[in-house]
Amino acid sequence: MTSLINPSVVTEPATHTTQAHGPQTLAGEVHWRGGISPFGISWQKLMMWFFLVSDALLFAGFLAAYGFVRLAAPAWPDQGEVFPMLKIAAMTFVLITSSATMATAVGAAHRNDLRRAMTFTLLTALGGLVFLGFQANEWYTLISEGARLTHNPWGVPAFSGFFFMITGFHGTHVLIGVVLLAVVAFRVKSGRTHSAGVELAGLYWHFVDLVWVFIFTCFYLI
Amino acid sequence: MEQHTSYRTYWLAWGLLLALTVVMLVTERFRLSAAMTILILVAAMLVKATVIGGWFMHLRYERMALVLSVVLGTLATGAALFLLLIPDGISMYHLAQ
Repeated sequence: MTSLINPSVVTEPATHTTQAHGPQTLAGEVHWRGGISPFGISWQKLMMWFFLVSDALLFAGFLAAYGFVRLAAPAWPDQGEVFPMLKIAAMTFVLITSSATMATAVGAAHRNDLRRAMTFTLLTALGGLVFLGFQANEWYTLISEGARLTHNPWGVPAFSGFFFMITGFHGTHVLIGVVLLAVVAFRVKSGRTHSAGVELAGLYWHFVDLVWVFIFTCFYLI
Repeated sequence: MEQHTSYRTYWLAWGLLLALTVVMLVTERFRLSAAMTILILVAAMLVKATVIGGWFMHLRYERMALVLSVVLGTLATGAALFLLLIPDGISMYHLAQ
């Protein structure tokens, strides 16, 4: 990791800053001297990080609301009886593996090995599809057992409401990721994007995996 | 990014993530006590998040300015959400009894 202090930001004595920076300048103030890349990354990557932070807070909001309702509820269904844990473990395995193939794709793109980058991007998309298949199956099973947004056979109505909301939002992110990865693989193949495109898609994909880590722990295990 | 992380590093991270997942599933199966289970699960969850953020999302190699903006901002807001809502959830439970 490099320094916290950008080299283009310098402290200057207050004596000759008054003229240059206007009367508001205070003694000892650190000035922004117009360094053009404070984070040392491309603007596309910075925007992706901004998006990921806001998206992370969306899921944090969901999980905090879920935590509140669960604690306030008189009882909560035993997840081990509602969900087949082996299937959830398999979903987790698939998503973690797809994150590793994505990291390999990004690594290959950085080495300019575009063929390998494309292959591993497609493998990642395939992992996403397998995950979605598992999830569709899980939703189908629960819906046929009588789970709805407003009620379910296991007690607290909010239980299935939160289940569909949280896994639904996450699944939508996976679906968007699969489309994004397919587009990126196609663009790499046709020479329209290089390592930067793969890296941005990779950041998004790892984020989807990261969110699943929290959902898996908070919703399925605890 | 100047450094080339070796492919091996990614697959080591993958192995670590899987191992932690197994630990979590085992913890859930053999619940020792509620507090112990939650402690182990949350600790494993945070380690997993660090591995994904640090190795897969390359935060290890980014400038500290970016790391702090992204991680501290998200963690602080997320923690505030939980810390404000959780005590209220517990009070609601006791009020309903």
